[in-house]
Amino acid sequence: MGNSSLEIIINLAKTVVVFLMMVQAVPILVWLERRGSAFIQNRFGPNRVGPLGLVQLLADAAKFLNKEDFVPDKGNRLLFYAAPVFALIPAAVAYMAMPMSTPLKIGDSTFLIQGYEVNVGIVFILGISAMAVYTMLMAGFGSSSKFSLMGAMRASAQVISYELALGLAIVGVIMMYGTFNLTDMVLAQQGAFHFSGFGREFSLSFLPNWGIFYQPLGAVIFFAAAFAESNRLPFDLAEGEAELVAGFHTEYGGFKMLMFFIGEYGHMMIASGLMTTFYFGGYGIPGWTIAEVYQTGVSIFGSETGGSIFSSVMHFLSYNVKFAIFLWIFIHVRWTLPRFRYDQLMDLGWKTMLPWALFNTILTATVIFLASQYVI
Amino acid sequence: MPLGGMIFITIFIAVFGTALIFLARAIGGLAKRTSAAKMEIYECGIKETEKKDSKISVNFYLTAILFILFDIEIIYMYPWALNFKDFLKDGTGALVFTSMISFMVLFIFGLWWAVKSKALEWEK
Amino acid sequence: MSMDTVLFWFLSLIVIVPALAVVLLSNPVYSALSLVMTMVGVAAVFATLNAYFLAGVQLIVYTGAVMVLFVMVLMLFDLKHDLQTFSRGKVSGFLKIAGVGVMAGLLVGAISLATKKPSLIVEGSPLANELAAAAASGADNTKILAENLFLRNMLGFEILGVLLLVIAVGTVALSRSKGGTHARD
Repeated sequence: MGNSSLEIIINLAKTVVVFLMMVQAVPILVWLERRGSAFIQNRFGPNRVGPLGLVQLLADAAKFLNKEDFVPDKGNRLLFYAAPVFALIPAAVAYMAMPMSTPLKIGDSTFLIQGYEVNVGIVFILGISAMAVYTMLMAGFGSSSKFSLMGAMRASAQVISYELALGLAIVGVIMMYGTFNLTDMVLAQQGAFHFSGFGREFSLSFLPNWGIFYQPLGAVIFFAAAFAESNRLPFDLAEGEAELVAGFHTEYGGFKMLMFFIGEYGHMMIASGLMTTFYFGGYGIPGWTIAEVYQTGVSIFGSETGGSIFSSVMHFLSYNVKFAIFLWIFIHVRWTLPRFRYDQLMDLGWKTMLPWALFNTILTATVIFLASQYVI
Repeated sequence: MPLGGMIFITIFIAVFGTALIFLARAIGGLAKRTSAAKMEIYECGIKETEKKDSKISVNFYLTAILFILFDIEIIYMYPWALNFKDFLKDGTGALVFTSMISFMVLFIFGLWWAVKSKALEWEK
Repeated sequence: MSMDTVLFWFLSLIVIVPALAVVLLSNPVYSALSLVMTMVGVAAVFATLNAYFLAGVQLIVYTGAVMVLFVMVLMLFDLKHDLQTFSRGKVSGFLKIAGVGVMAGLLVGAISLATKKPSLIVEGSPLANELAAAAASGADNTKILAENLFLRNMLGFEILGVLLLVIAVGTVALSRSKGGTHARD
């Protein structure tokens, strides 16, 4: 937590700042999604309110606040209200553990650019974000509507099915880095591609040392499963309009609906952040190691504090560029691919992705084992 | 120890979310009961039907139970994967490798059985 | 009171109050959701004991898998009607009294165990020494866990794999039996 009371207060305030960053990113993402879909479908999208339609979402939020508060008579009021509030919690609490930049050193105090550091980062994020299932089940039961309930059942069965493939794809990552800690993973991906095994050293100076080059299959499985986890197209069976009206949020409207949205985008952010951290070097800048960035900062500003601030800012920008690319892929895929049928979805999860994830694990283990035992 | 931060942010979000809901309720007001039909749950043009008559496919439970089993097996791979390189350095790698591969064979057999016996088959 | 004591009492509250709610609330869905809260609290208690991996496993397995099944099953059956038939019968009365008996036995056992020294890990044994060394260095104790699972108790680990396989086969076989209220076809 920190040593002095000042540090504790700053660390607590930081969690609030990260949470508010997540919340304020949602209007931007919604705007991007609507403009992006319009661009893909050769339409205009929101372009009237403010420059490029940027203020549209503020207007929408004001409109949501003016909506009357509806609870169906048959519904369970407590669960109906609790579900949207609970939707915010797992996504935000899990995202706090994501390392976004190098620690900021000011004087004797060190501040991490993340909500808090968790030693067993991966296990923590998996465990917490798995709790999103309860949001759907609470919403489905609270509305007492059969469409909501069916949507909740489908969504939760889908989420837990793909969690297996997700969890197995990560085993390869853990094996490669030998740690659960996300910061350690980022540090392990610095520099140029190099690999020692079979009694010799392999290195390629033009490639960064990113996880994607060691775990391409795992990365594909992880990313596809992350789509299903965050209930995005092509896996948004929970809200297949043709069958289920709107899935578990059939009865919701106004601000409560917006809170479900924030939760959904929060899961997208976790998936993008994990993708960046596991397979694309985290906050690292390709071809420029963390120590070099720090030295450049020191030489520009002439002090260690300046170097630390420079390094934090540069790596934060680098992280956000990668992060934004993955968020855009989420949006692009949503407007490119059609939706699966439910039996196809479950088949894909259990009969295709789970066996391939297992194969990836065994392959990784075998290669690591052979590389340490034999010399070519 | 990050536990304090986690508890703090969880409570903060819960309070924040509840406050937002009450704010929306204060500004927008409760839904006016203009008619009985307005307060009903959504239905496609017929009178609302209770959900307790609806039968849900047993596949959902089966999926959940199989998920628990396979999830536990995957969790066992985590400490193994974490220390695999250490074991290789200690020279006990071969033993650990065989032990996990035979465990995975059991996993694959379970998955194969579930697929073969059509437990994961959904209506098309 | 130090920070740790405050945390301990707070977590105890988070574990015990929902645990009581599981028993006392009449709506089974609320009970199940309270049980989820208890599981999260237990995970937090593990984290205060520096067993971070165990805390994560508790979250993934119990809140993420087992309780999802419970809540799913409870939400699908509208239990309001079944609840009344269940809570006013001779059988359920017997179950209640039996439950109180078991609970009392567990309490006595827990108190008598808590006043003794833990006997599972013998002082001076290699395992106890390793654990003490790991606790002193503040390192992660997953290594010791892995060594125990995959090297020392390898046979037990493989038997566990077989057991899980048997459960999977049994589940599938049971769900395929015809004639029940929720049979497949």
